Amino acid sequence: MEHSLMLPNQEPYGALYIHVPFCKQRCLYCDFATQSIDYASPELRAYTDDMILAIRRAGRNELLGGVRTVYMGGGTPTFLGQKYLTELFYTLSLTMHLTEDVECSIEANPDSLDGRMVRDLWALGVNRLSIGVQSFNDAELQALGRIHTAKQARDALAAAKERFENVSVDLMCGIPGQNLESFRRSLEEAISLGAMHISVYPLTIEEGTPFANMVAAGEMPDVDSDFQADCMELAAEVLQAAGMQRYEVASYARPGFECRHNIAYWTGVPYLGLGKGAISMAQNSEARFRFDSGGEVQEELTAVEALAEDLMLGMRMTVGIGPELIDRARQTFASFDEVCDELIERGLARWEGDRLVPTTQGWLCGNELFATLLDLAP
Amino acid sequence: MRIILRYIRYSKQVMSIDPQYIRNFSIIAHIDHGKSTLSDRVLEQTGTVASRDMTEQLLDSMDIERERGITIKSQAVRVDYVADDGQTYHFNLIDTPGHVDFTYEVSRSLAACEGAVLVVDATQGVEAQTVANAMMAMNANLEIIPLINKIDLPSADTERVRAEIEEALALPADDAVLASGKTGEGVHDLLEAVVYNIPSPVGDKTAPLRALIFDSYFDAYRGVVALVRVVDGQLKTGGRVRMMATGAEALVEEVGIRRPAEVPCETLGVGEVGYFVTGLKDPAQVKVGDTITLATGGVEEPLPGYRDVKPMVFTGLFPIDSDDYEDLRDALEKLALNDPALVYEPETSHALGFGFRVGFLGLLHMEVVKERLEREFDLDLLATAPSVEYHVYKTDGSMLSLHSPQEMPDPGEIDHVEEPYLEAKILIPPDYVGAVMDLTVARRGSFKTMNYLSPTTVEMLWDIPLSELILDYFDKLKSSTKGYASLDYELAGYQTSNLVKLDILLSGKPIDALSFIVHRDKAYDRGRVLCEKLKAIIPRQMFEVPIQAAIGGRVLARQTVGAKRKDVLAKCYGGDITRKRKLLEKQKAGKKRMKAIGNVEVPQEAFMAILKVDD
Repeated sequence: MEHSLMLPNQEPYGALYIHVPFCKQRCLYCDFATQSIDYASPELRAYTDDMILAIRRAGRNELLGGVRTVYMGGGTPTFLGQKYLTELFYTLSLTMHLTEDVECSIEANPDSLDGRMVRDLWALGVNRLSIGVQSFNDAELQALGRIHTAKQARDALAAAKERFENVSVDLMCGIPGQNLESFRRSLEEAISLGAMHISVYPLTIEEGTPFANMVAAGEMPDVDSDFQADCMELAAEVLQAAGMQRYEVASYARPGFECRHNIAYWTGVPYLGLGKGAISMAQNSEARFRFDSGGEVQEELTAVEALAEDLMLGMRMTVGIGPELIDRARQTFASFDEVCDELIERGLARWEGDRLVPTTQGWLCGNELFATLLDLAP
Repeated sequence: MRIILRYIRYSKQVMSIDPQYIRNFSIIAHIDHGKSTLSDRVLEQTGTVASRDMTEQLLDSMDIERERGITIKSQAVRVDYVADDGQTYHFNLIDTPGHVDFTYEVSRSLAACEGAVLVVDATQGVEAQTVANAMMAMNANLEIIPLINKIDLPSADTERVRAEIEEALALPADDAVLASGKTGEGVHDLLEAVVYNIPSPVGDKTAPLRALIFDSYFDAYRGVVALVRVVDGQLKTGGRVRMMATGAEALVEEVGIRRPAEVPCETLGVGEVGYFVTGLKDPAQVKVGDTITLATGGVEEPLPGYRDVKPMVFTGLFPIDSDDYEDLRDALEKLALNDPALVYEPETSHALGFGFRVGFLGLLHMEVVKERLEREFDLDLLATAPSVEYHVYKTDGSMLSLHSPQEMPDPGEIDHVEEPYLEAKILIPPDYVGAVMDLTVARRGSFKTMNYLSPTTVEMLWDIPLSELILDYFDKLKSSTKGYASLDYELAGYQTSNLVKLDILLSGKPIDALSFIVHRDKAYDRGRVLCEKLKAIIPRQMFEVPIQAAIGGRVLARQTVGAKRKDVLAKCYGGDITRKRKLLEKQKAGKKRMKAIGNVEVPQEAFMAILKVDD
């Protein structure tokens, strides 16, 4: 969990990510850095100790002074349990200014989130809960290999709402056995239970997962991207009618409840990742690096490539890219205006005042839009 | 001093070798009967190549040959053998291809030999190419030594194969050599049989030079290098020679023998086989099959010519990146140098831009050439569906030779069209006669006759249109006979057929590179199947792509590739960004292998889809 990359004139980190790579049981679609482990395993103790050291070291090296958002994800962070979570957030509050205006999120799984856990997290300074519900339909949950039921999801959400206003729910579309009606019910239920933020992800079949093997063996149909497109359109319709705004391809929120941590990822803010498999991004005016928590560089981008990446990431969001980024792009890429015209002609983007923003079609066929922007950098 | 130096140089080979100790022979066989492995054992047991230097199938020098386990180019190598009589003999061994596409290579090699070793697999017995190659060797008046190979295999049936050789080929097989290329057993018997059965070359060493060019290749430093067989006289380093057909003259910069590494010598005499560095830079000046004689005082009469080889299958080859056009032309020129069957002319397609119409001996030849162009010359190529040479008789009485469907005149100008027919020889066990009947009749074949070569082997003769054969006929034949069938064919002339040009339209526009010529009775089925195939091959774009098959203006079949609805990775957080970028790069690389026609991205397989139509 050593952090070893230091650039000259490095921009300060604005976001901190803490990874907890443990789950009670791996879901069938999951290819995240996580492992299923027993509650009593000594590994949990050891991992927590290492993380405490990593946080303190980052503090000592003055890496946390500019951090405005903290996100603990996994895996299943709540699987760590009361004691270890307390230690981690206590360390964090001693090491950095974990004030009320710092967004501090934790991911939770319905089966390990109860009233007591909610109260403790609240007391430790966590101010945003993101619950991995995926669906409010038991058959669909089972198909995904989730370890919780729809009832547990409802209970967890109710418990969360007792303390937290800022509660987010993840929902999935394209689940085997799902139809538009059942997906609509999941959306409506998330709203009625008080979610202020909803992420809608289409199921993807990742290499090496049980789902990939099942598809290869013909035991399960491959993803139906037409159905997923229908779901994404339905989500936009239902959630916007309920007063939520779509601020990113897959993210909806009531005004003021957008996830600031995720927005940091999409706006070129440097982020520090701690824990097994966590990725950090550091940059200065010359270059952008991504490296893992062992300090190994995964990707090195020139400032020009980083700019193209910012354009691509910007177009994930409803606000698109603003005048400042557009000016830089015009100065850097001779063909920028031409490319904008092409995107507009293909129906992928449009001008909204002085901002270039994605269209619905641009979101659905995001890879076309994103690839075109990435191609700006030679 | 000068004298000593000369002596040392001459000591390699002071004079040409006495022809009575020379044996020139080829090894011929049906594909996969083990020629190349057997050749390796010969090199090894004669000490030509130390076993530690042996690579599998040494004479197959091209990557493609080793990978596919087939021989494409003939190769010549000098082997010295000390026979049981104590005398040293000089063998020139010429390895030959076994696939029917490369029959021409075999005929070239045979013209340089006095004998041939006919290899027959002890488990497979006599197959179609065994018969064809044996006939070719007999027609060239070669002494044939039958050899039954792979006798180490448990399923080897030497006696059955011996009987088949006698019955099907009318060759005495009592003395057939029994051998295993794998274990080396019987190789010594083979070497002795070569010494005693194959005649030594006969020629006039005092006559003016006459030598056959039976192969050639291009060396970037030395120009064209020819492989030659001297018939009369001597080929000397430093002499001036003339290629009789092209009229090109050259200084003999170097002659030598191949062991298989090149070893220079002063002279090649009567009966010798070796290489000759011409120094010529233009491949077209050195034609395989040509006769070399002295520039002054040479002979007037060339050696008997080779069988004139004609390409039978034509395809358009287009660079995916149009900037590679010049490179493609240079590459084709280099390959055509030692592949007289490869012909090409420029072709322009509205859809694909500038490229070449290239003629081949058959589909394997086509695949091999395309693969060599892509690998050895680093080109990304797109091949259109192969077609044959049609003869279009127009109403004005003229005749048009058509290599490409694009050149088809308007129906109103056509009186009738003829297409090439093959006489196909198919060897199968009797149980499969019915299956072959069904398949071949469905491919417009007409049955001629059938003979029992032995109780276990039936020979069927058919007339079949070449255009039907190049559509996966061989694959179908193999699968409907559990792999037992073997096939040989030769061109049998042209016959009138009711042929039409079928156009394929994408988004309403005819795509010239996808059109093809088909028998009218099959147009509807082919069009329907092809539209279905294309629908599966062409990826969804951001808009609908209608696919139509039409004759003239009449649409026979239609399919639609629906618009792409969703193509986005929804999750993109800290660790996903690198991954996402890689995914986009991968998609981009995939697109590079496609050709944009108008605004439709069409994968390369689309152009070959017509080959894979299941009836």
